[in-house]
Amino acid sequence: MSFILEARNLKKSFDGVVALSDASFTLNQGEICGLVGANGSGKTTFARIISGLIKPDAGQLYLYGSQINLKSHLEAEKLAISMVHQNLSLVPEMTVWENINLGREIITPLGILNKEEALIRAEAAIQELKVNISLYDKVSQLAPSDQQLLEIVKALSRNPKILILDEPTASLGFKQVEILFEKLIQLKKDQVSVIFISHRIWEITRICDRLVAFRNGKTVGEVDFQQQPREERLIIPLITGKKENEDEKGIHEKRPYRNFDTHQVILEVDSLSKRDKLHNISFKIREGEVIGLGGLNGQGQEEILFILSGYLRKTSGKIKINNQEIIIKNPSQAIERGIFLVPGDRQKEGLFLNHNVFTNLVYPQVAQKKQKFILPLKELRQTVNTTIQKISLVPPDPRKLVSHLSGGNQQKVVIGKWLSLSPRILLLNDPTKGVDIETRKNLYKIIADLSNQGVSVLLYASDNEELIANCDRVLIVFEGQIVEEICGDRICEENLIASSLRVQ
Amino acid sequence: MKNRLNWKNIYQNPSFPSFLILIAIIILNASLQHNFFTYRTFKSNLLTFTPLILTSIAQGLVILVGCVDLSLGATVSLITVLMASLMGDSLLSIFIVVLLGSGLAILMSFVNGFLISYFGPPPLLTTYATSVLWFGIALFFMPTPGGYIPKSFSKMYRSDLFPNFPVVLLFLIGAFFILFFISRTRFYKHIYAVGGNEDAAYANGVNVFLTKIKVFLLSGVFIALASICVVAQTATGDARCGLSFSLNSVAASIIGGLSFSGGKGSIIGPIMGGLILGLLINVLYFANITSFYQEFMKGIIIIFSLAIGAIPKYLKTRSL
Repeated sequence: MSFILEARNLKKSFDGVVALSDASFTLNQGEICGLVGANGSGKTTFARIISGLIKPDAGQLYLYGSQINLKSHLEAEKLAISMVHQNLSLVPEMTVWENINLGREIITPLGILNKEEALIRAEAAIQELKVNISLYDKVSQLAPSDQQLLEIVKALSRNPKILILDEPTASLGFKQVEILFEKLIQLKKDQVSVIFISHRIWEITRICDRLVAFRNGKTVGEVDFQQQPREERLIIPLITGKKENEDEKGIHEKRPYRNFDTHQVILEVDSLSKRDKLHNISFKIREGEVIGLGGLNGQGQEEILFILSGYLRKTSGKIKINNQEIIIKNPSQAIERGIFLVPGDRQKEGLFLNHNVFTNLVYPQVAQKKQKFILPLKELRQTVNTTIQKISLVPPDPRKLVSHLSGGNQQKVVIGKWLSLSPRILLLNDPTKGVDIETRKNLYKIIADLSNQGVSVLLYASDNEELIANCDRVLIVFEGQIVEEICGDRICEENLIASSLRVQ
Repeated sequence: MKNRLNWKNIYQNPSFPSFLILIAIIILNASLQHNFFTYRTFKSNLLTFTPLILTSIAQGLVILVGCVDLSLGATVSLITVLMASLMGDSLLSIFIVVLLGSGLAILMSFVNGFLISYFGPPPLLTTYATSVLWFGIALFFMPTPGGYIPKSFSKMYRSDLFPNFPVVLLFLIGAFFILFFISRTRFYKHIYAVGGNEDAAYANGVNVFLTKIKVFLLSGVFIALASICVVAQTATGDARCGLSFSLNSVAASIIGGLSFSGGKGSIIGPIMGGLILGLLINVLYFANITSFYQEFMKGIIIIFSLAIGAIPKYLKTRSL
């Protein structure tokens, strides 16, 4: 039996960072194939290659048995490959009907747009999924779920033979997912092949005929539901993989259980909400406690950190420090109260790359309101030197340009700049993204030290092992709500993944 | 399905503030100038405003696609220099020189478009560089204003085609006709798509490169029309005559509700913006404000108009 689509040994890296190291994949006609894998495992890169948006560095693609070389997305579309993009390919300032027709407008022989035809096509397209939106609405005015549906509608209206859906259900409600699934089953009957990417394992087991798992840029295995049972426990080991590296195991040891019930509550968050993003988030952090925010990517964890650090504003709810309600309107107010954020994208939000270590470490102090008009440079130099020792920067040279440091040492600088201001609450937004093991160890030590000194830490990590290694309690966030609290000895990989995926 | 025109949401239209400003300034002008609604005033206003309106359209198109053209004014200058250097008395020579000048304007605009979409430098700097280049060339050929424009040519421009129908109106009607036609093509949708979200446009199969080039070519057509108006109006070639158009046209576009980042607003906006700026000078003149303060007042009113345009956006960010 020949495959409708086959990929052999695809490779792709971006600026030296390997996104896809070895992906091989086959797709049969009229099947729904699921792609699963952790964040950054290469699923999206793979999908973008198949849809012609990016070119692979190596590897071959075969369509109906003959090799193809996709030069552009347009070419893929001509071959009836359509993709639903994760970060949506809609133009926000254009209307619904314009977006559906974009790139393949119907024109009269004179070159004039045929608006009637376009409207009919758009109306027919949105009826397919029973979407309740007006053709004349601007995309920017639509709710996120409607935008997602529109993105699906647009891909469907191109009558694809191969449809790629990259996390189409992330912002959809329960009923909308049902409608989508009905449609997918209908497409399957029409011999359309579907690639379905999702983090929600229960969706994969429900709708897919087969699944392929990605890990670290490789395709690592597949499950054929015609021969194997539709069970989640078969899939999760494929996603997480076995821990092979002893060294790595060493640093991800579970920290001993600590009881904080007698400690003073430093920060209290009471029914915090943000429109569409967060709903009734409540939790307390005690002095010296390390709390983790777990769950799938983008469930609202970052929003919690951003609201606490003053980058975003809440819609409702209360934030209390030492039992006093406070208002945080901007980052500088958060800093005044001792709440510091270590941002996720350190190069963009955390560092002045073209400046040296000294300047980077000294900025937070310089920005303080009580700082003298003429800077006490000698003092500042001393504090910077002690900070450099604390974070064990390599090399310990304050004159070194930050852009010349390794990723791990850059991360140390991002944390180090707050240390001299004696933080009370440290918010960490996925701090070990792209950081080597040695630096991780160091970072964990810094977190432990701070915690022993009575600093409370709120840590969001996309890597579960990091939560296990650092946290006293982990709050699992799912679709903007805290759905579970895991504490003490119950913090382990299985429990974290199970609750993130809402598996019972 | 909802009706297209939703009167409740009219205030959300990005061109709406400029429409209000336009009405206000027309009322103000009419109350200060007693003969505002006469044919004579209408025609003289039209003669003054047309180049600014045409350059604003040219600029507006470029801004819609997410770029900006600071060389537009220098292009106008260089075309006037070219026409004033080459034009002779015969009808044929006028015709050929006008054609040549228009062709050059379109070519120069194409150069901008090509540099921006092929090499990808910031449009602001690219067009600044070409503007310096064009200005230098114009100065080289005509260090001081001069050249020769046949009387018949400028007389023709200022005359009436029929009673109560000035020739200059033909330029505007022509421009409206082109815009009307373009606005109904797929190309027009692609302008908004590329300006609104380049990546999304690409992912939908829109040829981003070609769309930008085409926009600059089209913009060149309007620059050419504007240059013809300027040269006929002033009857000289002047390397400096167009320079103010560059930024005035940007101001007109933004006052007209276009977003500087592109993909937002209607091309009607820059037309209204151009009219507002033109009428503004009238108002200042008739309000007996000495020329010393005119520029000052102009600045204040431009800032005011920009602020009004920014109010809906401000309200939006506050509610986040």
